Amino acid sequence: MLLEVTKLNAGYGFLQILRDVSLRVDEGEYVCLIGPNGAGKSTTLKTVCGLIPPMSGQVVFRGEEIGGLPGNKVCRKGISYISEELNLFVNMSVQENLLMGAYTVKDKSYLKKRIGFVYELFPRLEERRNQLAGTMSGGERKMLGIARGLMAGPKLVLVDEPSFGLAPNLTQDVFAALSRLNDDGLTILVVEQNVTKTLQFTERGYVLEQGRIELEGPSQDLADNPHVRKVFLGV
Amino acid sequence: MLQAFWQKLVDWLKSAAGLTVLVTIVLTVVTTLDRGPYILVNTVVIGGMLALISVGLALIFGVLNIPMFAHGEYFMIGGLAAYAVFKPLEGLVKAGPGSLFALVAPLIAILAALVAGALAGAVTEVLAIRPLRKRARQNWVMNSFLLTVGVSVVLINAHQMILGVEFKGVDRFYSGVPLDFMGAFVSRDRVFAVILSFILIVAFWLFMGRTKTGRAIRAVSQDETGAMMVGIPLDSITMLTMAIGCALAAVAGGCLLFLYPTYPTAGMEPLYMAWFVVILVGLGNVIGALVGGFMVGLARVLTIEYIGTGWEYVVPTCLIILVLLIKPSGIFGTEVRGVLDQ
Repeated sequence: MLLEVTKLNAGYGFLQILRDVSLRVDEGEYVCLIGPNGAGKSTTLKTVCGLIPPMSGQVVFRGEEIGGLPGNKVCRKGISYISEELNLFVNMSVQENLLMGAYTVKDKSYLKKRIGFVYELFPRLEERRNQLAGTMSGGERKMLGIARGLMAGPKLVLVDEPSFGLAPNLTQDVFAALSRLNDDGLTILVVEQNVTKTLQFTERGYVLEQGRIELEGPSQDLADNPHVRKVFLGV
Repeated sequence: MLQAFWQKLVDWLKSAAGLTVLVTIVLTVVTTLDRGPYILVNTVVIGGMLALISVGLALIFGVLNIPMFAHGEYFMIGGLAAYAVFKPLEGLVKAGPGSLFALVAPLIAILAALVAGALAGAVTEVLAIRPLRKRARQNWVMNSFLLTVGVSVVLINAHQMILGVEFKGVDRFYSGVPLDFMGAFVSRDRVFAVILSFILIVAFWLFMGRTKTGRAIRAVSQDETGAMMVGIPLDSITMLTMAIGCALAAVAGGCLLFLYPTYPTAGMEPLYMAWFVVILVGLGNVIGALVGGFMVGLARVLTIEYIGTGWEYVVPTCLIILVLLIKPSGIFGTEVRGVLDQ
């Protein structure tokens, strides 16, 4: 078991968003968390990666309790969070952003290998290595965000809304890239509003509604589930 | 390649930043030809020191979003540290003017100023600013501003209570004949100050651009959440930023000890000057502050030269009003981020 979240409650200030959320991600899995706007999908990811302190509940990563640790410590444990708005360093070049992504990496040769790896994954980034992150297009930024999240060689990647603000053909590219990473053995937990596409690509999924896990199961079953079809797919 | 570079240069010169830099250089050359090379020397001395102070201010504002109004007191602390170290050594230095010791003693004094400034900055961060950050991030700019004003009052009065109000200065760091620079006599201390400020500016530049820690500081200033996501420890970075910013001001205070002896409110003038620079170039812009230091330095020197002493605050202030009317974000500013929404 890579990540196990048990009865997690979290929110912002007095406003509680998550109510007893439990989920688990095994090594090498590609899991999705779907749900309508405001269901608490992003909050779940932010709590796991330490940007929001949990009110109660456990977050266990590789047998170690990480709930309540600050974000920079969680990152060092091997969890990488790729946020919806990406949080790139806009006045830094692509190369510098990637170097910052590997802030926790001490080994120089490993760092070189990682840079080579992400440039191979997204050749577009290598062409733009000296361009400022803030001057790039939405699709390129998304690539950079994902690439930066991969730099430290994480065990688990949390991706928040990879299709957010992208044209349909770019969305396809981003999903394809994530699938390829998963084929190479990376564990991914993705949060999405684009339910059709997500269920096509992922193996297993959770449906989050109003801060609670309503359904869980293999992605194919969820895609066929009448409730999911009615609420998300409109059929 | 050369053509592309030329095109870039021309484009930059057409921007507000390029235009003002060009005007500054032309003005310096013209006035130097008109009145003599000491204009250039004074501009470089004052400008270099101002650049050091303003860079610290811009850094603290850019990274920590703190409008630092206690910055002058770190200038004062630097002066005090240099004084405390150099005064006991002065006798020895005077005994053997040509010795190696006389060459090294001022450097030790400046090093003491640097260390004292860095320590004072780090302690302020941990004791005053960190508790505020832990408690509330609402209205951060206003609250941290009030906090730094409080720190300033405390430091000024602590100086007065413990060490008294009299001037504490040294006659000179380096004795000996002034150096001849194109017909103008420049004291060795001024040359020392210029060289030191340039070394520090270059070192700071390399640190911010080339080292991992420098990049991390920039990363925090650009996106705090993003910095957290990649594993940068915010607490150590904020402490380091305060230490660097305050250390730069303290070095300036130490270097200028021969010109401005230190006393409780010695920091007021450099503080106001540094704020002129930072507002002129755009809040939080570190590179801009570097160039702006020399611009305000020149404005100051020219005012004293052509209009008269006593006007040296008036003219830079008028310049700032003009610039802000035309370009509210400052000469080098793109946008003032984080001031209103935090």
